[in-house]
Amino acid sequence: MSGPLLSVQAVHRSFGTGPAAVHALRDVSFEVEPGTMVALVGRSGSGKTTLLNVIGGLDRPDSGTVVVDGLDLGGLDEDGLSRLRRERVSYIFQTFGLIPVLSAAENVGVPLRLARADPARREQRVAQLLGLVGLDGHAQQRPGELSGGQQQRVAIARALAASPRLLIADEPTGQLDAETGLAVMALLRGVVESEGVTAVVATHDPVMMALADRVIRITDGRVTP
Amino acid sequence: MLTLLSRRGRAQWPLLTSLLVTLVVGTTLLGTSTLLITLTSQRSVEVAAARAEPDDVAVTAYVAGISAANAGSVAADTRSVLTSAVAPFPATTVTRASSVMRELPLAGPEGGGYLAAIEDLPSRAALLTGRWPRPGATPREAAVLQSTARLLGLDVGDRVRLGDEMGRDPNGPVEVRVVAVVRPRQDAGWDRDPLYGTGYAADPPESTSARPVRAYGPFLIDLGELLAGGSALGRLEVSARPDLSDPTSRDLNRVTASLLRADRRLNGTLGDRIEVERVASPLPGTLLDARRQQQLTSSSVLALALIGLLLTAIALALAARLTTGVRTGESDLLTALGTSRRQFTAVAAIEAGALAVLAFAVAVPASSLLYAALTRLNPLADAGLTAPVRISGVQLLVVGGAAAALAGLHILLAVRPAPAAGDRRGHRELLARSGLDLVLPALAAIGWWQLRAQPAGAGSRADAVRVLAPALILAAGAAVALRLLPPLLRAAEQVAGRTRGFIWSLAASGAARRPQALAAGLLICLGCAAASFGTAFSATWHASQVDQAELSVGTDLALSLAGAPVTGQSATVRDATGGTVSPVARQNIVVGQWLGGPGSSPRLVAVDTRHSADLLRGRLDAGRDWSGVTRGLAPATPVTGVALPRGAVPAIVGTATGSSPVQVTPHLILRDENGLQTSCTAGPVPLDGRRHAVSRCAPVPGLRLIGVTLPVTGQTEVQNVSSVDVTLTLPASSAPAPQWTVRPGNPASSQLTNEKVTFDGRKLRVTATVSFADSAPSSRVLVATAFAEPGPMPVVLSTRLAANVNAHRGSELTFAVDQTAVKAVVRDIVPEVPSEPGEAAVLADVDWLARALAVRGNVVSPVTAWWVGHPAVDDARSRAGDLRLGPVNTPGAEADRLAGSPLRASYPAVLRVLVAAAVVLLLGGVLLHVVCDTQARAVEVARLRGLGVSRRGIRRALIGEHALIVLPLLAAGAGVGALTSALIAPLLIRSETGAAAVPAATADWPWGAEALLLTGLIGACGLITGAVVLVQARRADAAHLRVAS
Repeated sequence: MSGPLLSVQAVHRSFGTGPAAVHALRDVSFEVEPGTMVALVGRSGSGKTTLLNVIGGLDRPDSGTVVVDGLDLGGLDEDGLSRLRRERVSYIFQTFGLIPVLSAAENVGVPLRLARADPARREQRVAQLLGLVGLDGHAQQRPGELSGGQQQRVAIARALAASPRLLIADEPTGQLDAETGLAVMALLRGVVESEGVTAVVATHDPVMMALADRVIRITDGRVTP
Repeated sequence: MLTLLSRRGRAQWPLLTSLLVTLVVGTTLLGTSTLLITLTSQRSVEVAAARAEPDDVAVTAYVAGISAANAGSVAADTRSVLTSAVAPFPATTVTRASSVMRELPLAGPEGGGYLAAIEDLPSRAALLTGRWPRPGATPREAAVLQSTARLLGLDVGDRVRLGDEMGRDPNGPVEVRVVAVVRPRQDAGWDRDPLYGTGYAADPPESTSARPVRAYGPFLIDLGELLAGGSALGRLEVSARPDLSDPTSRDLNRVTASLLRADRRLNGTLGDRIEVERVASPLPGTLLDARRQQQLTSSSVLALALIGLLLTAIALALAARLTTGVRTGESDLLTALGTSRRQFTAVAAIEAGALAVLAFAVAVPASSLLYAALTRLNPLADAGLTAPVRISGVQLLVVGGAAAALAGLHILLAVRPAPAAGDRRGHRELLARSGLDLVLPALAAIGWWQLRAQPAGAGSRADAVRVLAPALILAAGAAVALRLLPPLLRAAEQVAGRTRGFIWSLAASGAARRPQALAAGLLICLGCAAASFGTAFSATWHASQVDQAELSVGTDLALSLAGAPVTGQSATVRDATGGTVSPVARQNIVVGQWLGGPGSSPRLVAVDTRHSADLLRGRLDAGRDWSGVTRGLAPATPVTGVALPRGAVPAIVGTATGSSPVQVTPHLILRDENGLQTSCTAGPVPLDGRRHAVSRCAPVPGLRLIGVTLPVTGQTEVQNVSSVDVTLTLPASSAPAPQWTVRPGNPASSQLTNEKVTFDGRKLRVTATVSFADSAPSSRVLVATAFAEPGPMPVVLSTRLAANVNAHRGSELTFAVDQTAVKAVVRDIVPEVPSEPGEAAVLADVDWLARALAVRGNVVSPVTAWWVGHPAVDDARSRAGDLRLGPVNTPGAEADRLAGSPLRASYPAVLRVLVAAAVVLLLGGVLLHVVCDTQARAVEVARLRGLGVSRRGIRRALIGEHALIVLPLLAAGAGVGALTSALIAPLLIRSETGAAAVPAATADWPWGAEALLLTGLIGACGLITGAVVLVQARRADAAHLRVAS
């Protein structure tokens, strides 16, 4: 497939009505080429997370179109959006988003289970990904037993498990100290290259901006140059 | 702080509401139980007294040996003592009196007669001819019984002279004029007549004369005339029946105490004007039994209420824990801001205090309303215990105390800081919990053992073990079941982990690994166990009442005869009821030298054992039935006898050698088609060669003559020997003549020799040589029967009797039945004999018994009741009652009486409350837990959506997780309930006397009701979980993704 992996055109999203309405996104348009890593930067409340949720199909825009990997999200129902997130889009949350009762390996295996992958293939893939993020020895530990950086690495491994086309990360280093955050960003940059995925990363970390192929700035819900 | 409290309260109102509801449910249950234990319990004794049978509350004074001069004053004083003894209740008195025996020239030199008076005579006797006697006539007017009139040849208008009194200081003769011939009514107190209302006795029990007396009477005159008419009284009986229609406990206590002193008081009042006096009343015993039963019921109600209270405490602890969990962040913040522990305690105390006050304010009226509503439902309503909405001081105290205690528990849990992993308090808590796991089962085992070891006899101890044992055993069972659940969940997780899919794997992992997953486990398990136990206990209790009723009545319909059975009665009973009808003998006996234990004599029950399967009721041990047990008790060959058509008048003629006159008093032994054996006497017949008619012996069709006894009387002299020849001529019959046999009634007697009998189909001839050396009349009774000597009577013994007399199968015993020795052989031993629960009793065949008594010259029918198996008429009970032969009872009516007794009606009522409270608390706990759990996991749910899990998948995962926890907990709860009811329900059930139930209660597991309960609980839990999860899954949107975990 040629052309952008992600296309966002004239997207509007507001919350509430009347004078109290909050316009989170205003006429946002941009495209992201496959295999690139885009940094989405802006102040808190600028609309970064809303934009990521719209791209990931967790939220629907009031107007405008979002096309991911050739799929127009506006034409998908609830099940279609869920399938999109299972097969083509993966999330990395600021707060890691690991399931506390599952071990690191089990958390990584969640997308594969959702895809009903063969157990043997699943275990092989989980081991490979844990090795990729440097957590071979922590497979059976639960999130509560891991450090913040380790948890985020598990989250990255989980995000890559189903071999998504688009990786969405919402301030992945927000909960980490500078050194750990740097390591996580390096890892993210590495896996984008090694796995060939496209990544949209919301951040206000300058280091991350430096690692990104492109930076999109967003202010008060508008993409600014 | 108050601002914080107020704002937090507004923000967390659902949580606070659930805490309040839990408090209200628990305290309402306790308040209702308190009202049942206090108001209803007290009222139940009053209602029981008001509903008691008149005979159970009557007070009777028996006075004997009263001179003519004192008769009036003694009667008046006795009435006065009795009415004052039952004060303040108004009482009606009935007086009956009979004179000492007087000579009765009309009946010959040995003739005797007596005067008697009974108040309200028209209600006790039916007027056949004439009119009722009136006072003031000269000579005095009298009524005589039909039998007396027949034997003395009296009719209305005849004058009868009663001569001097027999005994010391005799009063002079009196003359009466017969104005009425009457027939005694059934159940009208004729059993207390000196001749039992028979009108004649050859050897009256109360004769004060040294010489033989043939007594006739009574000659019934006006009471006032008897008391003032110059006759000494042999006995005076005054019965007072207090009106207990609206008693109070205080008055009942006063009467009880007064009655216990009445005997001494009457003795002091009457002094030496009388020889013997006694005051007897079952009323103190009736009230004592009522109080004992009341106390037992109260302790059981308390035991069940404690289970409810335990559930409430657990529910509250759960609510408090969940509340604390929700407030962890807030608490951490406040701690960081420098809030001291004391300030935390103050805030918690204010909140708990407000909750307690609100709960108190709601629970007091709620418990009063619930109590009033319960008393309007059966069985309390049927038991007459309907009560208005009331608030009592004890109720206020208990509800207030419980609310305060539960609020204290809330404070304790609220101020306790959450344990950090690995800290020392956590280890201490684990240690304490492990200890509790050991202590609870140990205490439960002790409680069970104590219940098993409780004495079988009556007792009213509401001991702590009895009250605490059910709650302890349920709690221990739930605690153990809870420990077994985690391995089960881990196994489920392993199975789910091997699947490809994510949803079930996530659900199983959540159930097995989430620390708070089992937070509501104890409440769910114990709530279900309590509800199952309450349902099963209720079924077991009711089944035991039915068992007890069946054994107590002994058959499908029992008619206890108030008087002696009458020829032809069996047809009357059969026509009224249909079904299998049997005459039954139930009476006290003496077994060998054993007279019985304290307060109870051995009992004989004799029925037509050919129809045992149809007649006998009462649970036997497994593998046996009444038909098998009684096989061989009935004689092998039926007795045929000689048909005696209705209205037949046999004639008797006899001769005797010797110089002095000899006479016989023939008794014809008759059998009707249902096996009722009666006798008919012709009065003394001189053996003078003349023909004497034996009339009025065949008033109904279908009678057969099966025997004749001939007591021979003559002048007692050593040399007086006579050959007697007596012939009884019967109506002609074409039926084959039976083989007759003859023997002395007393086998040890040497006064009768050469006895022979012949029967040619019409004439029954008995000859014998009679010696008159022995003065005892019983030594000269010839008995001719149409059957052979029956031999030892085969019997079945109750276990208790067998143990007391050390008998076993094949043992030979001798019973004294109505003073007649009957040899018996033991065929079998059963736990209980029908109609005699818990007694040392003998079961025999009524035909064999009647034959055994007849051959010994005892012609008095042993029959005291009619039993009917499988009545064929719908309203058999009321129709049998309409016969007015005596009280009628059925197992159904008896079971209703037992279960609906005011003293026991609180049982089923509180069981209902317990089951309802357990269900409400359980469902409340589930709701609280699911709401808190899903709220706490809102972020996790949103992230699952971010991972591509559909809303449906999230719902399935959450519902699956809760199902994996709730379903095993409900199943375990039902199991614990079943086990607890099997272990202790039979031990908790006592009979109405407080003794162990007979037959022993067996656990009854009502599959239908339990299945309904469990299905309802599963359905309700499913609905709650489904609804909460549905809302939660819908709310899980992108907004949650920004919240920190």
